[in-house]
Amino acid sequence: MNRGIIVMLLGIIGGALSHEGWLTYKQSGVSGSDLDAQLAWIKSDLQLTPEQYARIKAIHQESSPHLHALASRVARMRDEFNAFERQRTTTGEIDFLEFAQFIQERRRIDGECLQSTRQLVDASAGVMTPRQRERYLSLLSAAHRPAGSAN
Amino acid sequence: MSSEPDPLDPLLQRWSQARPQMPAPEVLATEVWRRIADAEAAGGEPTLWGRLDAVFSRPSFAAVFIAACTLFGLFLAEVRLSRVQAQRNVQLAQAYIRLIDPLLEQPNPGSPATHNSPAAPANPASP
Repeated sequence: MNRGIIVMLLGIIGGALSHEGWLTYKQSGVSGSDLDAQLAWIKSDLQLTPEQYARIKAIHQESSPHLHALASRVARMRDEFNAFERQRTTTGEIDFLEFAQFIQERRRIDGECLQSTRQLVDASAGVMTPRQRERYLSLLSAAHRPAGSAN
Repeated sequence: MSSEPDPLDPLLQRWSQARPQMPAPEVLATEVWRRIADAEAAGGEPTLWGRLDAVFSRPSFAAVFIAACTLFGLFLAEVRLSRVQAQRNVQLAQAYIRLIDPLLEQPNPGSPATHNSPAAPANPASP
């Protein structure tokens, strides 16, 4: 009787240890949210060669300061828009000339953002093989879907 | 015929008086069969635990059982890992898009550009 229980316990312990061990071993991949972590993930997912990775990393690093500056301007525009909205709800009035200038500036910045991002994506995709490019663009498309329909 | 009393007679008479009460024949038969059934049950069919113990006592089976449990644990881990990996890929892709698309850095319902982002190409196959 005892021997049977011991063998069963050993089986359960073996299964649990192999389960946890495999999870720990395989989960020690890339993590983090900075550019290096993202590029490491792209390299791993798309199986980029060292040359492709170096080129894509350089492309991203070149455009990163400009994209950050654009992100700051977008955030500032968002604050300005909120200020307009507050003024409209509190006083019931709005300076249409100022608002028209804001809209114009916003369109310009939006266009610049679109162009910068598109250039980055196109330049990165240009370094890749057709198969990698297809996978890369499909990942971007999937990430744009709402979280609930991600899978 | 001699009239002399047989010396065995008093002895037989005493034995018949001292003899224990015998059960009725049908009761005796029932009791005998009950005892036979008890004896067969005690030494015959093993219990479930008994069978398991007998099986696990074999070293070859014990080794196969432990190996199977280990492989099953690995299989479950791989299934779990593939689900976690799929979720993480989506999270990493979303974080990557937020890094490369300034319009997506923070969600802004007032901005139509969040829907026209170049990071979401209409035709993924095109370069």
